[in-house]
Amino acid sequence: MKTTKIYEGSHQWIMFGRDEGKPNNVIDTNQYVVRTANRCLLLDPGGAELFAPMMAAVLHHAPVDQITDLFASHQDPDVISSLGLWDQALTNAKLHAPAIWEGFLRHYSCESIEYVPIPDNGGTIKLDSVELQIIPAHYLHSSGNFHVYDPQAKILMTGDVGGAIEGPDAPVFVDNFAAHVEKMRYWHQRWMPSNQAKRVWIERVRNLDIDILAPQHGRMFKGDDVKRFLDWFDALQVGIAV
Amino acid sequence: MTNQTKSQFIAVASITSELSAVMVVAKEISLAAANAKAIAFRAGDKAKGFQPITDFINELAKETIELVTNINIYALVLYRLTVDEFQKTAAYNKFELAAKMAEGAVYAKSMQEPVDHARLSMQDCQRQFKRDVSQLLGQLEAVMHHARAARVIAANSRIEASQAGEYLQSLQAVAESVDKAAHTIHDNVQRCRIALSIYRNS
Repeated sequence: MKTTKIYEGSHQWIMFGRDEGKPNNVIDTNQYVVRTANRCLLLDPGGAELFAPMMAAVLHHAPVDQITDLFASHQDPDVISSLGLWDQALTNAKLHAPAIWEGFLRHYSCESIEYVPIPDNGGTIKLDSVELQIIPAHYLHSSGNFHVYDPQAKILMTGDVGGAIEGPDAPVFVDNFAAHVEKMRYWHQRWMPSNQAKRVWIERVRNLDIDILAPQHGRMFKGDDVKRFLDWFDALQVGIAV
Repeated sequence: MTNQTKSQFIAVASITSELSAVMVVAKEISLAAANAKAIAFRAGDKAKGFQPITDFINELAKETIELVTNINIYALVLYRLTVDEFQKTAAYNKFELAAKMAEGAVYAKSMQEPVDHARLSMQDCQRQFKRDVSQLLGQLEAVMHHARAARVIAANSRIEASQAGEYLQSLQAVAESVDKAAHTIHDNVQRCRIALSIYRNS
């Protein structure tokens, strides 16, 4: 599992991905960790297949008893099918996830972890002195979908938005936006169902000060590529399968 | 999923299937008892010895139905336990793998507690499963006992039927149907016991 520290300040953001041991027929995912003094938040912790390498990677940064929070942007298995395993490993943790998916996500087993339902208008996650904002991103692609914004680190974790299917050796940041576009066009056209939802989301995130846009698949965008991505996405017609 | 786990799931699921067939047959015995009672009533003195047997057959059928209903509830508990054991074993294996992969990590040692806890939970489940299997086997033995009793009754019914004059054929048919049903119950329950017995002491 490749580990990249993407923010180092009063707290840290670490990206995990490009797992060499993952089965070939399982989509590659990026997991993010926000590490504060005494707590650790896993953002979209991944599928059950990924649990062991993910846990092993996190143990380089935090002990098990300080993994206190999980966040699931939506209900997909590549996002959170490891929940049943985290549920047995963690004794004092909360899962922040869309309220509308609670009954569904509990199928993965969530007995010891406290489910903290996120209402449709979003909310916050407080980790020690760090306050993260939960930004609504409904219908992008899931009907109950959220992203996480850290105003201090200026990172927006965007779930499937900004995603692309990449090879196992792909760099973690976009280095040539024009070349990257073709890797994410079909992804967004086919998985994102609503032009209206897309416009509302773009309007919302254009108001945020973002240094890094961090999707759950593919490469992260930084600096000017964040704006390039928003402009490109704005102009793209999505929901092409109907 | 290991072959052992797959077999365990199949064994537990097959109990419900075998027992639903036993239930059908037990209801048939109950019907046969009602039929025999009517014939014995018509036959009057000629089937005097048959009358108490019909009550006994009916009672036996009722008890069998009750036992099988209870066993089915128990089998469901056993199925849930199998699922639980499967999940706990999977977690234990993943935790061990995570601990191994984390060797050299700053906080690797903190994984030991979840590994130990998962191992204990898994072992608890395995012990509970063996205890429940033993109990279920005991309940299945009770059904077998009923099946054996039904065969004895069927033999007595044949003797009584032979003295029932023109009702001989009808009462013999009742005896045959009870005997056949007892055979079916015996065979189905025996299959359940064989499927489960390997888990009692595994």
